[in-house]
Amino acid sequence: MPTIELEHIHKTFGSLKAVDDVSFQVEAGEIFGLLGPNGAGKTTTIRILLDIFKPDSGRVSILGGAMDETKKNRIGYLPEERGLYQDTPVDRCLVYLATLKGLSKSEAVKRVDEYLARFDLIEHKHKKVKELSKGMQQKAQLIATLVHRPDLIIIDEPFSALDPVNTQMVKDLLREERAQGSTIVMCTHQMHQVEELCDRLVLIDRGHVVLYGQLEQIRRQFAGHELEVRVSSPLPEHLPGIASYAAVNGGFRLKLEPGSVPQNILRELVSQNVMVEQFEIAMPTLDEIFIQVVKGTDV
Amino acid sequence: MSKFWRVFSYEYLRHVLRKRFVFALLSVPLFILFFGLVGVLMVFLEYNPRPVGYVDLSNALQTRQPLPSGANDIAPVVELRRYADENSAKNALLAKQIQAYFVIEPDYLHTGRVKLVALDGAPSESIKSEFSDFLKANLLASQPQLVASRIEKGSILTIISADGSRRMNSEQWLDIAIPILTGVLFIIAINASGGYLLQAVVEEKENRTMEIIVTSVSPDQLMAGKIAGNLSVGLTQLLAWVLMAVAAILLMANFIPSIQNPHISQQFFWLVPLTLIPAFVLVAAFMAALGATVTEASEAQPIVGLFTLPIMLPYFFMNQIMLNPSGPLATGLSIFPLTAPVSLPLRSAFMDVPFWQAALSILLLVACAAGAVWLAARAFRLGMLRYGKRLSWQELFGRA
Repeated sequence: MPTIELEHIHKTFGSLKAVDDVSFQVEAGEIFGLLGPNGAGKTTTIRILLDIFKPDSGRVSILGGAMDETKKNRIGYLPEERGLYQDTPVDRCLVYLATLKGLSKSEAVKRVDEYLARFDLIEHKHKKVKELSKGMQQKAQLIATLVHRPDLIIIDEPFSALDPVNTQMVKDLLREERAQGSTIVMCTHQMHQVEELCDRLVLIDRGHVVLYGQLEQIRRQFAGHELEVRVSSPLPEHLPGIASYAAVNGGFRLKLEPGSVPQNILRELVSQNVMVEQFEIAMPTLDEIFIQVVKGTDV
Repeated sequence: MSKFWRVFSYEYLRHVLRKRFVFALLSVPLFILFFGLVGVLMVFLEYNPRPVGYVDLSNALQTRQPLPSGANDIAPVVELRRYADENSAKNALLAKQIQAYFVIEPDYLHTGRVKLVALDGAPSESIKSEFSDFLKANLLASQPQLVASRIEKGSILTIISADGSRRMNSEQWLDIAIPILTGVLFIIAINASGGYLLQAVVEEKENRTMEIIVTSVSPDQLMAGKIAGNLSVGLTQLLAWVLMAVAAILLMANFIPSIQNPHISQQFFWLVPLTLIPAFVLVAAFMAALGATVTEASEAQPIVGLFTLPIMLPYFFMNQIMLNPSGPLATGLSIFPLTAPVSLPLRSAFMDVPFWQAALSILLLVACAAGAVWLAARAFRLGMLRYGKRLSWQELFGRA
């Protein structure tokens, strides 16, 4: 059973259609990317998921049905707009937020201490939140998201304000959560993080779903017109089926003519006694796919 | 523990455990104590122990009586010295043996004229008052002691209601002071707790904590917990002040006999909680609604006065309420929900408020408090995630 199911969701604010017929599913135990340019409707979609906003029409199912108060304890949410009680000591703030997620006071104190130690914040636990650096506040916010060990984690830009060391730590943590069975919905603009972490994704643009599926399938869907070839002998100037080629990183990127297939190119190279060291279909990066889909340009 | 109680205890403790709260709690009694001490200090600063002379040209003080001693006076009574003529009194004054002298003119019994001669400015009021008492005691010396004592102390006028259920006399000033003081403390406490609540709601919007909180707690639980928590902060303040006031009155009763047995009507005791608690909820809910509709605390400040000024309004009409507690103005003020919390207990100090008026007033207050809580929850749901854009009245009262 999917952890999240959205079916034909619509949401309008005044004359603005924020979400227009959005449908997707998030499977249990996967890291799912929710992508889109600024103003695409991602945050509105998340708020509908979390029952902060009611959709104008459509159906939302989360953790096996409609949202209720007990399900809120099984969800960890890191919103785009970060916020903690600035004038409150870090530990007291985190313990309060953890108890609102259903933990007993003693359990919350214990777990908050564990996480603070893991995030190198234990020395700062009695400081007021406003006395922490931006990166430290981001880590404290992540603790508030994870401390009650939720079944579903929804995180918006989890790596912003983090240095490379902490970014790696958060990535490891997300993988660990997934390994323990948590479902993660990750909203980010950092496409390389999505490529590294996500199993599946949905791309929303101007309120519409424009891409949805397995990450690898999507990349293959946008691949097939270019080859990456590395050779130890000269490459012939003219090859049948090749429109153009360019030297890239010590190898060549070959652009296929319409109707041409990679197998024919490989056969041609072999027949012309070219010493082939590497031959593969060039896969577009997610960044390139994102730009192509959103801007409507070629990869 | 339910989430309501989590929110309640967090909101309550975050204020009560702060130094600022303890300071606010102690500031009112300390302020009153400070003014009391300043008053005592002024008496001591004004007090001059040097004797005061007098010359009796009227021969009215033939049988000299001692100056009545004030057992509870802060400063000791100043000695009065008699001089045979004005010259010897003047010499004593110039020699600084006395601070001033009174001359009782020859026609005093007909005209009441007395002259006061001093070197460095007029003596204090207490000296004049003492000399007046001295004159009175001597003029009454020929009268039977009982008559003299009665004239000196005057009458004790007791005003009794027609049905005999209410009585008040001039010595029982505490019976009037207590309702007035209760109202003042209520206004201070309600402003404080309302302010805390407004700040708490706006702060969560400003620092973006709101989005996390509403994915953990339902808006209704959150709002109820916040209102109850911050309201309890105000009630704690009020209770602490009442206990301090009771302690102060018990202490003062040792020195001021007239306040030993205050006669507060039973009606006052049940009217106070029945009006103050819904009034607390009413103002707190208004503040919460306001906090949810604005985007910054500074935006809310000018609007806060719309709720708090009407609460203070009865004090502007206190004279009319005291003179005519059953008149249309006093009745109207005690029924209108925002002026009722101060007017109704105040009226009960001067009369028995008819049951129907008290019941109507309390019912209206409770209904308005319930309406305000509904409005606050609605404003909160609509405005909780509005950053940088204020919730309009049309949105608040229109269809969701």
